[in-house]
Amino acid sequence: MSDSLLVVIAGLGLPGLLPALAVARRSPALVFVAPLIGAGLAAIAAGLELAVGGSLLPWYAGVAITVNVATLIFWLVARRSARLQALKGTGSAAGSSLTWSMLTVVVVLGAMVAPLTGLRAGITGYDTTAIWLTHALMVAGGHHVLLSGLQNPVYLSSNPDYPPLVPAAGALAFALAGQGHLHVAVGVTVLLSACALGVGGVGVAAIGIGGRPVTRVVALAAGAAQCLAGFAVAGIYGIDGHADLLWSAAAAAAIVWGLVLPQSTQALGLAWVCAAVAGLTKNEGLTTALVVLVLIAIRYRPLTLPRLRRTGLRASQGSLSMLAWPGLRLWAERAAFVAVPALPGLAWAGLARHIGLHDAFFRSRSTQSVPYRAAATMSSMAAHLTIAPLAIAVLVAGCCLVRHDRDGGRLGNPAWLWAAGLLATAILFATYVFGSPEIHWWLHTSVLRTTIFPQLLLYTDVAAWLVIAFGALTGPVPIPPGGAWHVTDAAPVTARAGG
Amino acid sequence: MNVACTVRANGEDTSGGWPATTRRRQLGRRIGAALIVGAAATALGLSVHHGVQVTAAAVAPASIAEWTTFDSQQACLYRAIRSELPKGARVYIADPDHFDAQRLAELSTQWAVPQPGLATSQWVISVDRGHACSGISLRVRGA
Repeated sequence: MSDSLLVVIAGLGLPGLLPALAVARRSPALVFVAPLIGAGLAAIAAGLELAVGGSLLPWYAGVAITVNVATLIFWLVARRSARLQALKGTGSAAGSSLTWSMLTVVVVLGAMVAPLTGLRAGITGYDTTAIWLTHALMVAGGHHVLLSGLQNPVYLSSNPDYPPLVPAAGALAFALAGQGHLHVAVGVTVLLSACALGVGGVGVAAIGIGGRPVTRVVALAAGAAQCLAGFAVAGIYGIDGHADLLWSAAAAAAIVWGLVLPQSTQALGLAWVCAAVAGLTKNEGLTTALVVLVLIAIRYRPLTLPRLRRTGLRASQGSLSMLAWPGLRLWAERAAFVAVPALPGLAWAGLARHIGLHDAFFRSRSTQSVPYRAAATMSSMAAHLTIAPLAIAVLVAGCCLVRHDRDGGRLGNPAWLWAAGLLATAILFATYVFGSPEIHWWLHTSVLRTTIFPQLLLYTDVAAWLVIAFGALTGPVPIPPGGAWHVTDAAPVTARAGG
Repeated sequence: MNVACTVRANGEDTSGGWPATTRRRQLGRRIGAALIVGAAATALGLSVHHGVQVTAAAVAPASIAEWTTFDSQQACLYRAIRSELPKGARVYIADPDHFDAQRLAELSTQWAVPQPGLATSQWVISVDRGHACSGISLRVRGA
């Protein structure tokens, strides 16, 4: 099976390589993001197969060629303009020496070898059979099989509106490895999860850039540990073909690159790709991606009241267009920051509703009261978030003691990460409370998987603070010699205004 | 936060080149940072340890044997559906076991068309105990 898996990952990674190079540039994340981009292209192809007709492979080839040609054109245009210089100037969040890049890839990949040996067991999860392999066979069957299959009431319990990334990657696996090799599709899902964790792990390792070599080594170890923690949190669901680790890891990686690391076009691009992957993987991935993208939009295009006031003043002086234009442009940019990366996921959701597909969770009104469901959900989710108290303690200690080191590294305020985690978890909580299935059965069968994202995010925050605190331990003493000392956060404030 | 201290003017101890309050603050900051590193490393370490245990359980010989059997059952049922039913056959899945019914629905996909009721179906399929597929076999009968 390993040979077939390599062929499929190459089939996903090669079409994604050029776009990945454009987004990640010299970052070690390149290795991990290329197969994710390939899987995203396959998902878009599956959407076109459903919407227009035909079969997956021609659409996949068409989408891959279009995106690669567009990337080449972008490069050629950018090379002739000063834009490339600007990109070079700003895209250095994880820009590092080739040695460090290669070392990062080797360490992060090497760390994930251990959990990936679980693939030897050939485990196939219940949802893997009921949802993902079933949908993959539908996608592999072409437009008619896909459309009639998703609309068939027999398959209603398979949540036919679920996004197509995992089924499309599975269908591609069948095309490359043979129809009967169902477990290759399971392996592809697991490897894509590992890639998403890898992008996040490289992001955590990038926090150490700018520190002393020993800090960079610790950051590398923290990144690798964060990948392993992802597999540990997911448990058996990480290696049995469930899609929950994939969307959770992709969303967490989007947060690391978009809300934790310093602002740059490179970090923004990687965050967008990861958010798009999360949105194309599962419904809860799409809602989480939207939350993350809105926060990224606000971080990169801050809501600045003084600017509005100034604009308003100008308008009151008679220039109405001056009032509208800068404000409108900013809001248009924020909207584009959300809509562009979320477009594939939103388009699938719209298409699914258009052809009458719905999930199995909101079909009818539950007979259980809202407070009853809320209490059950609270207790069940809390049981899986045991890392939360320690993460809160680390957050408080970090903010009190090494906040300046975080600001000095131009890292995002920890409030961004926590806001993303809390909002996404609140949406998940509301889904359980207002959904229709019997709450105890529903929680029993799913809460272990749905809490992978908040758990992984908490481990990510803990890993980030570890790197920052270690940097503070080993870094230069931030006090000028001579007895008198002057501590100022003027520079970090400047960074924070944008970050 | 802009803090300017002129500690020498206050006559504080500046032995070693640093005022005592600064040294205390530095020490406190370093101890705090060390505690953060320790707590975070412990949390990540425990999680990694848990992950190792999960993987070890997954690749235990008993687990591998169980899932190898399941995989061969799946492949066998997949082939049996395609050899015993014509393409496009309308089938009714009449299996009392929810899991077996689910896997038949999955493995029929792309070849047969599962029907919600008996009335519209041509064949009835279920999983029986048997030897054809590692302890089970596909049962096909006319509707």
